[in-house]
Amino acid sequence: MKHFWVLPLVVLAGMGLSVEAGLLGPLGAAAGHLWATLGIFGIGTTLLTLGLIFSRPRLGLLFAQPRWLLTGGLLGPVYVVALTLATPHIGVGLTMVGILFGQVAASLVIDHWGLLGSARRAVDRYRVGALVAILAALWLIH
Amino acid sequence: MVFLMLLLVILSGAVLCAQSAINGRLGADVGVLESAWLTFALGTLVSFLLAFFLEPPHAFTLFSVPRWQVAGAFFGVIYMLVIVFAMPRIGTAAATVAVISGQLLMSLLIDHFGWLGNAVIALGARRGCALVLLAVALVLIYQSNARREQAAQA
Repeated sequence: MKHFWVLPLVVLAGMGLSVEAGLLGPLGAAAGHLWATLGIFGIGTTLLTLGLIFSRPRLGLLFAQPRWLLTGGLLGPVYVVALTLATPHIGVGLTMVGILFGQVAASLVIDHWGLLGSARRAVDRYRVGALVAILAALWLIH
Repeated sequence: MVFLMLLLVILSGAVLCAQSAINGRLGADVGVLESAWLTFALGTLVSFLLAFFLEPPHAFTLFSVPRWQVAGAFFGVIYMLVIVFAMPRIGTAAATVAVISGQLLMSLLIDHFGWLGNAVIALGARRGCALVLLAVALVLIYQSNARREQAAQA
């Protein structure tokens, strides 16, 4: 795989995400989960806007795309709302397992049929094995 | 109720993954920085509306909590840039498995050392096995991608 080095990079990014979640939890408890989400998105937008200003932005191209390609940002807050609704009912552990299961299952489906404009990568024995290994790891941790 | 809530979180996990796939596609067409910026800008607009109209008053506001608590945003930005870059190159499943492995690895480390003011939960046999399984999942996904590329070349 010529993009082998991308894999450890993504693992590192995932580690950062855990740190973010660790910071976000107490913040949400103190100031409200939606406000905490706004804080994260607001700071992020500010940083990226600064970055865009000092690069050669092609923002015009964004609005030449089909509209469904622009909906990515709308789905993030949906996730936070679902999280806040569900956690009091089923607990943090089960919530996390459910989310991770949903992510992995959806990723296999998206790749298999090449949905949402991604390249097709059919489900094979290796992918099923990876799914089983992740589920077993989740079960062991929680 | 429990079943309904479980369905809700599984669906929202799927939504998260769909978002990454959409962002990756957009990033490949328009640019990594542009795609990440759009996601954060829309996220800001929507979460402002939701927070402004739906959140009951809390003891603290974003401006009265310690600043470092909001520092998580830096990690979020890096994550978004990496995922937009990686998605079209290695595919949705490989990226998802790698992100999850990183998340679980880090949360086990946080627990083990009690970082960020968390209680210490030592890395026992169960959690050690879980780490091995995560590594196995990464290798399997890598194998799947490598074979696919071999087949494409042949």
